[in-house]
Amino acid sequence: MADIANYVALSALVFFIGVAGVVLRRNPLIVLMSIELMLNAANLALVAFSRAWVNNAGHIFVFLVITVAAAEAAIGLAIVVAAFRKARFVDVDEVASLRG
Amino acid sequence: MIAFYALAIVLIASAIFTVTQKSPVYSVVGLLVNFIALATFYFRLNAEFLGVIQILVYSGAILMLFVFVIALLTSGIGPFTEGPNKLPRIALPAFLTMLVGFGFLAFGILHTPLLPAAMPAHVATSTLGDAGAATVFGSVGDFGVALFTTQLLPFEVTAFILMVAVVGVVVIAGDAPPQKTKGHHEPVGRRRRGARREPILKARK
Amino acid sequence: MTPPSAQSVTLLLLLWLLPLLGAIVLWTFGPQLRRSGSIVASALVLVSFALTLVLFVGGTSPDNPLQVPLVSWTRGFNLGLELDPLSLLWTLIITGVGGLIHVYAIGYMWSDKAIARFFAYMNFFVFAMLTLVLSDNVVGLLVGWGLVGLASYFLIGFWFYKPSAVAAARKAFVINVVGDVGMMFAVFALFSATGSIAFGDIFAKAHDFSPSLLFTICLALFIAAAAKSAQVPLHTWLPDAMEGPTPVSALIHAATMVTAGVYLIARFAPLWNLSPQSQELAGIVGALTMVLGALLGIGQWDIKRILAYSTMSQIGYMVMGVGVGAYQAGVLHFFTHAFFKAQLFLGAGIIIHALHDEQDVRKMGGLRIRMPFAYWAMLLGTLAICGFPFFSGFYSKDAVVYGALEHGHPWLYLAGVLTAGVTAYYMFRMIFLVFFGPYRGEVTEVELGMPVSEHAAHAEEHVAHAPAWLMQVPVAILMLPTVAAGYLFIGGSTSPWARYFGTQFGTSENVASLPLPIPELASTWIVMAVVAAGIVIAYLRYGAQGAQTSAIDRIRAEGIAMPQALRHAFWFDDVINALFVRPAQALGLAISRFVDPHVIDAGVRDVAWLAGLFGALARGLQNGLVRAYALTLVVGAACFIVYYALIGAPR
Repeated sequence: MADIANYVALSALVFFIGVAGVVLRRNPLIVLMSIELMLNAANLALVAFSRAWVNNAGHIFVFLVITVAAAEAAIGLAIVVAAFRKARFVDVDEVASLRG
Repeated sequence: MIAFYALAIVLIASAIFTVTQKSPVYSVVGLLVNFIALATFYFRLNAEFLGVIQILVYSGAILMLFVFVIALLTSGIGPFTEGPNKLPRIALPAFLTMLVGFGFLAFGILHTPLLPAAMPAHVATSTLGDAGAATVFGSVGDFGVALFTTQLLPFEVTAFILMVAVVGVVVIAGDAPPQKTKGHHEPVGRRRRGARREPILKARK
Repeated sequence: MTPPSAQSVTLLLLLWLLPLLGAIVLWTFGPQLRRSGSIVASALVLVSFALTLVLFVGGTSPDNPLQVPLVSWTRGFNLGLELDPLSLLWTLIITGVGGLIHVYAIGYMWSDKAIARFFAYMNFFVFAMLTLVLSDNVVGLLVGWGLVGLASYFLIGFWFYKPSAVAAARKAFVINVVGDVGMMFAVFALFSATGSIAFGDIFAKAHDFSPSLLFTICLALFIAAAAKSAQVPLHTWLPDAMEGPTPVSALIHAATMVTAGVYLIARFAPLWNLSPQSQELAGIVGALTMVLGALLGIGQWDIKRILAYSTMSQIGYMVMGVGVGAYQAGVLHFFTHAFFKAQLFLGAGIIIHALHDEQDVRKMGGLRIRMPFAYWAMLLGTLAICGFPFFSGFYSKDAVVYGALEHGHPWLYLAGVLTAGVTAYYMFRMIFLVFFGPYRGEVTEVELGMPVSEHAAHAEEHVAHAPAWLMQVPVAILMLPTVAAGYLFIGGSTSPWARYFGTQFGTSENVASLPLPIPELASTWIVMAVVAAGIVIAYLRYGAQGAQTSAIDRIRAEGIAMPQALRHAFWFDDVINALFVRPAQALGLAISRFVDPHVIDAGVRDVAWLAGLFGALARGLQNGLVRAYALTLVVGAACFIVYYALIGAPR
């Protein structure tokens, strides 16, 4: 395998791309997809370290993360569906009732 | 090494593509490419089981979920009609913050020893070997043994999480409960004509 | 030292505290008591006088003072009262003359609506003055010093709706504060040098002081005395203080408060005796005041101002006397002066009251026939102040000037002698202008050369008048000591006076070490001659037949020919105004114009603005937009990353 540092740096880079997506995009679906991106970046780092230590606890944890990501995507989409069922705009800025 | 860099480029490019597309469908496709590249990384890292799981669950199930929601989200308007931008000047601070964060993170990665110089021998749970054999690191067998013996708790927790997700989705996105009769929804502050004032309001100081 | 008997201790405490009780009662119940409060107040002071007499009969000497410790704190801070001959003498005057003036004031202030407040202030003054003279330590003296200044402020500005009175009160207080600074400095210096505040300890250790320390302390004390006793250049408040009611002028600004400086010097005699330079300074300043006061008295037209400047001059005599070391002489002059000056002021008060607040002598005249009682009172007082033979002032003034000669100050002696002549001149000028010739009350201001005034006597109002005896009896009682008080000094160093004081003032070194150029008897004749010359000149100008018939023209001519220096009181007021008052006012104006709105108000405004700014910033964080919250999360995460990258994760 390549040097572990490469994998960690790659993971960090993809993670920050995901962060950019969360902060800068206004379509809620794109935001959720960016979150998935971030979770996967973390998974990459976990698998890389698991391989470096030859310890499968990292794999188990990735399994957990994937599960959580799935659940979270499902619920996030359910919320999007519920919130924008009758909305005019599909825009994250519209749900601002926490203002003030 | 070339493979590593090539895959890395694919990963990054698809990630950027995902984040920057206007149409969510294009983003889904980009995400799919990203997941496949990721699965390839897992295969290269001896994590065959996880690579397969990645493709099955992530690209197979979750992305399908996304596609369905995109398709069924709104009737009449497209799923990507956005309103006015209420935070127009967020780009610069966001980029600055991420630059700072990524910069320091890279600095940390480069200057921190990520692994000890000599790997202790007892940490390994199995041995590296050809793909397929049940006792090889990263195989199904290896994963299964760990999942059902030493790492049983994550397994149980996973089950619970999935149940929560199912219930949650049904509750959130399901049909709203039927409306009760109108008498319980008086407008606040206005007395209905002819209605007796609730005695409980009078008693309160 | 024999311990004091419980009875004497009680008497001393009572006589000290009764006036305070009176002040508190009158302050609290003034509106209810009204005129009866004045009787209460006067009674209390007279009771204090009676108690003082009892203690006097009991006898004190400087070696056996009556000491009453009051409060004892740490590190040598012991407050108490002490009754030795010096303080007993002052107490007698304060309560005795004070009591008489209180009775007089019942009559004088009879129709004033605020009579209770007046007597509250008067009682408070008596208490404060007693605190000053009865303390056995410098701190108690300082407390009394300050309280007396406060009482003076209250009483000068009693008629507070008159702007001139308020201004005069303020002026007196501010100038007194200058003296207070000197007093405080002296107290601090003495405490730090000796570690104790009691007079006994201080005088015992005084021999160890270096000459420069001694001089500094004496200088500070002298500044205090100069302010309180209206010595040059801190004298400008005294003429203006005549804005107060005449009883106030009599009690505070003639008999007692202005003599506090003399008391101070006499009390600190051991210190002064050790510092010849300080004595030189005190003598010179006292003499200067003496001369200046007399010269200024020549040109005054207001009867109270004539008496004010005469007070200033006589106190100059006293300060000169105690300053050069002739303590018994100086204190004797205080004693006699208290009587005849009170007499003069009270008599003037009778005249002013009868003429319905007319104070200008140009509008008086011929009152000898209309008011004989006042005439005799004023005449006796004037003869005393001039030092006419066999009157009290004769003995005391001679003692003072001869004491200056004895202690080696021939120039001061000369000044004193000449001033006696000037004193005679202006006092008799007053007598002749007021009591002789035709009555000029009906003559117009223009003919008399007066400025058509703002100040006019009000027409006779139908106000209630006090019974005349209230004002006349005290004056009559005072006639006796006015004539006779000086007799106590007959015999010089074997007189009752000298025996009373004993070794109170120590022995002053420079007595009888120099050959005296003039024997005492010759000096007496010289003084008498000068005084006679003064009286004769006054007679020729104002009292002779021809002078009286042409009085109106003479007065007008004199008003025109008055020298500028006298008209402007040697410009002291103008100089002080330009040097101190104007800059202070300008500073105050600058501060109120600039500092107040732009610095202080701006500071408060800026604090409020800052709070608003923070609020606005915080408000910006809660815009309800998910993206903003997400950015906040990212910023937080970046902070963590930076921290761990730099510091390293916990081990």
